[in-house]
Amino acid sequence: MKLLRTKVGLLLVIRLEHVSKSYKTSTRPALEDVSVGVDKGEFVFLIGPSGSGKSTFLRLLLREDVPSRGRVIVADWNVAKLPRRRVPRLRQRVGCVFQDFRLLNNKTVFENVAFALEVIGKPRHTIHKVVPEVLQLVGLENKSDRMPQELSGGEQQRVAIARAFVNRPLVLMCDEPTGNLDPDTSQDIMLLLERINRTGTTVLMATHDHSIVDSMRRRVVELSHGRVIRDDARGVYGVGR
Amino acid sequence: MRASFVFSEVVNGLRRNVTMTIAMILTTAVSLGMLGGGLLVVRMIDKMQSSYQNQIETVVYLNSDVSANDPACDKQPCANLLSDLKQSSGVESVHHESRKEAYAKAQQLFESQPQLRQLVRPQGLPASLRVKLSDPERFEALKKEFASKPGVENMVNQAKYMDKLFGLLNGVRNTTFVVALIQALAALMLISNTIQLSAFNRRTETGIMRLVGATRWYTQLPFLLEAVVSGVIGSLLAIGGLFALKPLFIDRVMGSVLGTGALPQIGYGDIFYVSPILVLVATAISAVTGYVTLRLYVRL
Repeated sequence: MKLLRTKVGLLLVIRLEHVSKSYKTSTRPALEDVSVGVDKGEFVFLIGPSGSGKSTFLRLLLREDVPSRGRVIVADWNVAKLPRRRVPRLRQRVGCVFQDFRLLNNKTVFENVAFALEVIGKPRHTIHKVVPEVLQLVGLENKSDRMPQELSGGEQQRVAIARAFVNRPLVLMCDEPTGNLDPDTSQDIMLLLERINRTGTTVLMATHDHSIVDSMRRRVVELSHGRVIRDDARGVYGVGR
Repeated sequence: MRASFVFSEVVNGLRRNVTMTIAMILTTAVSLGMLGGGLLVVRMIDKMQSSYQNQIETVVYLNSDVSANDPACDKQPCANLLSDLKQSSGVESVHHESRKEAYAKAQQLFESQPQLRQLVRPQGLPASLRVKLSDPERFEALKKEFASKPGVENMVNQAKYMDKLFGLLNGVRNTTFVVALIQALAALMLISNTIQLSAFNRRTETGIMRLVGATRWYTQLPFLLEAVVSGVIGSLLAIGGLFALKPLFIDRVMGSVLGTGALPQIGYGDIFYVSPILVLVATAISAVTGYVTLRLYVRL
């Protein structure tokens, strides 16, 4: 995969250039003139109050939506101009984790993770090699035969992360992954995301969780009313905290 | 593409919507059964047309004077009529049937009904000239030319009677097709609804499939196959129904009509002949309905 190189030699995996997004149902744009670049291997928090444009930001990266203006580039793909048949290729390189886990309750832990590979046509022998590896990474190697409802919230989120990571994406996008979890479990999930980040995977995490952002001291991009109002290299949740 | 994965998704989908699936299969089966019935009637008409085609004649009945006094048709006016008819355009062949021959034919016809047989008298039967036309449309022109000639009593076109029978059979066929069409519409709507319901039931799966980069084709294929599998099962039931109806209904109830030889028999061969048509129609209809439904109503 060819990645864009910045002036200082870093490789950009995500680039938004003067991106605006308006919806017909709203008078105010969801995103307005947003320009952000994310390097390969970075860990970035996307913060801001509800309605600030975080979800729209993530949806544009996945080509769930296209920008009204500007360019969205993921790896070397101009996402908005990507032909429809190429969109699955983009999504195979961008893993997603959500607040509500979105696991399949009729499948075991192993099957849930394997599902992500089965539906993109990976051969059985690859699935049987890769899934146990990723379950070990997330610490669920002994629970591969359990059903999701037999697991705690934190464990369910680990399964969701394993599923998002099993195809080794370039970027792992997490939309409020700790939103349903208690502080201790949230901390465990953050440690897991850090471990994944150390493998070279870029992590982009939208969150409201002050304590996590403050404790991690990673790059923070803050959105408000659809605009980037802050982009700190090692930031905290609220300015002056 | 992993066939085993697609197959297991299809089985799961059918199992989850079991009542809708059964309704869809039964409606498709009834609709295709009707279509099959219609096609069998069409085959029956075709067989009849080809078997009667060679036997249909235009009959020039001779008056009682000629019938009684010229048994060999070698006197006037019969001999003249015979040679004129032979020279007319569109006439393939002409042969003379004497009163005696007509009587023998009637005796043979009423062989199984002795009372009727006794009632028939040779004096009551006219002699005739039996004309085979290469073009049955020529009858009217021939009638205009010959009906008023001396020695002719009247002229009859046998095809007219056959037209009535064919009209009746065509009516049966058309009615069957109309009912099949109405049933097919119901089947189409059921297929469409079942796919939508199935897609709704599996929205989490399809949502995940989309997010992890499954192609649209991979996401849609299980739904399409569900529709096609149901359609094919429906067509097999319909074919089974036709095979079951043959001894139970066609042979038993209609046996008396078919046994006379007036109507050709519907055999197992005919059902074998229409079977692949029913399977093909079921496959095509369910696949097209499934595809259109997925395109228009389901976001995958």
